[in-house]
Amino acid sequence: MLAPAGDYRTSYREDMTIFPTRNSRIALWLGIALLCLAPLALGRYELGLLINIGFLGIAALGLNILVGFTGQISIGHAAFFGFGAFASAWLHEVAHIPVALCIPLAGLMTAAVGLVFGAPAARLKGLYLAIATLAAQFILEDFFARAQWFTGGVAGRITEPFTLFGWVADREQSYFYVVLAWTIIMFVAAANLMRTRDGRALVAVRDHYLSAEMMGINLAYYRTLSFGIASFYAGIGGALYAHYLLFVSVEAFNILFSIQFLGMVIIGGLGSVMGSLMGAAFMVLLPEVVQVAADALSGSAIDRALRLGASISFLREMAIGAAIILFLIFEPDGLARRWRLIRAYWKLYPYSH
Amino acid sequence: MSMRRRLLGAVAAAALALPAAAQAQPIPVGHLMDNSGATSDVGVPYGQGVSDALQWVNRTRNGINGRPLNVLGFDYGYQAPRAVSQYQAWSRDRVVAIQGWGTADTEALIRFVTRDRIPYISGSYSAALTAPKGRTDRAGVEAAPYNFFYGPSYSDALRAMLIWAKQDWESRGQQGRPRYVHMGANHPYPNSPRAAGEAMAQELGFEVLPAIQFALTPGDYTAQCLTLRNQGAHYAYLGNTAGSNISVLRACQTAGVQVQFLGNVWGMDENAMKAAGTAANGVVFPVRTAAVWGQEAPGMQTLQQISRISDPQGQVYRPVHYLAGVCSAMLMVEAMETAAANGGQVTGERIRDGFYARQDWVPRGFEGVCAPSNFSPDDHRGQLRVALYRARVTGDTTQGSVGELIRAGTMRLEPVTTIELERRAEWLGW
Repeated sequence: MLAPAGDYRTSYREDMTIFPTRNSRIALWLGIALLCLAPLALGRYELGLLINIGFLGIAALGLNILVGFTGQISIGHAAFFGFGAFASAWLHEVAHIPVALCIPLAGLMTAAVGLVFGAPAARLKGLYLAIATLAAQFILEDFFARAQWFTGGVAGRITEPFTLFGWVADREQSYFYVVLAWTIIMFVAAANLMRTRDGRALVAVRDHYLSAEMMGINLAYYRTLSFGIASFYAGIGGALYAHYLLFVSVEAFNILFSIQFLGMVIIGGLGSVMGSLMGAAFMVLLPEVVQVAADALSGSAIDRALRLGASISFLREMAIGAAIILFLIFEPDGLARRWRLIRAYWKLYPYSH
Repeated sequence: MSMRRRLLGAVAAAALALPAAAQAQPIPVGHLMDNSGATSDVGVPYGQGVSDALQWVNRTRNGINGRPLNVLGFDYGYQAPRAVSQYQAWSRDRVVAIQGWGTADTEALIRFVTRDRIPYISGSYSAALTAPKGRTDRAGVEAAPYNFFYGPSYSDALRAMLIWAKQDWESRGQQGRPRYVHMGANHPYPNSPRAAGEAMAQELGFEVLPAIQFALTPGDYTAQCLTLRNQGAHYAYLGNTAGSNISVLRACQTAGVQVQFLGNVWGMDENAMKAAGTAANGVVFPVRTAAVWGQEAPGMQTLQQISRISDPQGQVYRPVHYLAGVCSAMLMVEAMETAAANGGQVTGERIRDGFYARQDWVPRGFEGVCAPSNFSPDDHRGQLRVALYRARVTGDTTQGSVGELIRAGTMRLEPVTTIELERRAEWLGW
């Protein structure tokens, strides 16, 4: 879309590159280099936010593959995120597997669970599927609360920081690199997935399932596969969360969190790989911004006039709800589209027509 | 006055003020509250007590040794993971001590506060927090050398109530073995004293019935009441906080279930009595302070001053949890003063040692209100004397405020007995 004039693709290979122009590739490497330097410049608070964006972005990307690319729906994503978190902590505690290995293993375990709960997707669509995934949310949540051996029950499970060959990532400055590496791997993998036969099959299922089936795409297989992939991403994100917070508790993985994941995907942009990261960034930064606003408000004239008092803390939740509604009305294609428009504006400036 | 002289004066004033400002560097302290979550019914008055007391210390006592407390409050909505991430933010702000809240989050933070040497004064009285060196012979009792709380542990309070229940059973001339049942949500807080209570009940000769579950949020618990009746329970422990306990009490009153309820320390208070009405009549529960609001005691005047921080008119009735919040904040303040005495640094380690500095410790100015505590490096069971009260509700509580109802005598807290538990070594930590 934004290829410079005279740049004709002469092979399929060229047509499929993720970063089509030289400038975009330079920007990519520069961006990664800058992020690698971030721990030198940023404080622990800012790094903490970036880490949050990283693991939530990975999980949101999983949901985007399911919702945005395959056209399915899931309102149980937080449960899979939680399963990954518990699985990683459990593997480390029981089998004494190094954390670095626990994270991908937890992803695989979650994928297996996701395939089981995704099985109804082979036969159900739309609202019915939504309700089926809601059931997954409740079944898993209850399982977390009761499976003492796996989750530590309602008291939760304490886990250990990430280590690799004696290097311990127990602080934001070091754990940031772990999350950064995983984020890059998972996002590159997703971008590549969409270029493969399987990825295109997923998109075909979304666009028109009947046509897809007539083209020889096995609907049941791809719908279930999509659940597996989404759960794998959720599991990796959850495992990264577990070894960041070092404490996993069933309370975190409720249905509200699942809805937040949907919010990230919608705000970021359905069917956009980078949009998932943008949506996660938005969801992480919005409460912080609202908190700053609330702190500024508390004790002020508005606070006194409206008698907000203690309920000022509810502003946070309300702001998230309002943001989702506003995005659905004014930017249904999400932040990803807004970003493309901004880029196009600068690229074409001053001859925007 | 010329401009130059005025400037000179300002510079001189600034020069004088600077060293003073440098000396009065604020002490950062964390304050974790539940103002919006499942336990906000009791979390709000407790948190208000803590926050008023700390503000009062800043205003009237000029902070700790001239350094004001910088209290960093956070409402975590009773979500343990949010508490853990907030703790990490606070450890970046280098807080020297934390006023905490729930059992799930306090227990999850044990290892962190031990590692970072930050005294953690919780609203949770879980017995698991009382073993500073841990226990090797009991699973799940970790070393918690930086955890403190004001009051008897949940387990000890329940043991005391069971001792009373046994006496009550005999004094009423009842025959046979009394039946005891534990009720509460499947959550670390109600679960905390369950094993201890059931073991104690066995020891005292109760028949222990299978526990009954009900959620931490208000709801319809008629089914639980019918189970109570079918099991033929005589004494039932309510392990949740006031809000959901009220639902049980009302449902049981409607269903006509006659059981002696034993409330957790957070399970009953004046607000709950008003909300439950006559359904709350007769509930026995521990009160952590030597006096309740409106009673005469030497320290009550200090408490009224503190109350005016958030209620300048002095009209509001303060429930038992507010008083407990003040006492637990004042324990921390005095431990900090001990740390700061003789030019000492206010560090986590020195604050912890401040908790060991006194015997039968009642904060200065709170005599007759705060009950005496004893902490030692081997045993953080601060209180083993458990004062039991009975909620008395004699009429309609729908009209009037809590203060008016208490003044009118419609509701009152009636002392039952005080049980002095032995400091048994095998009870430490559970």
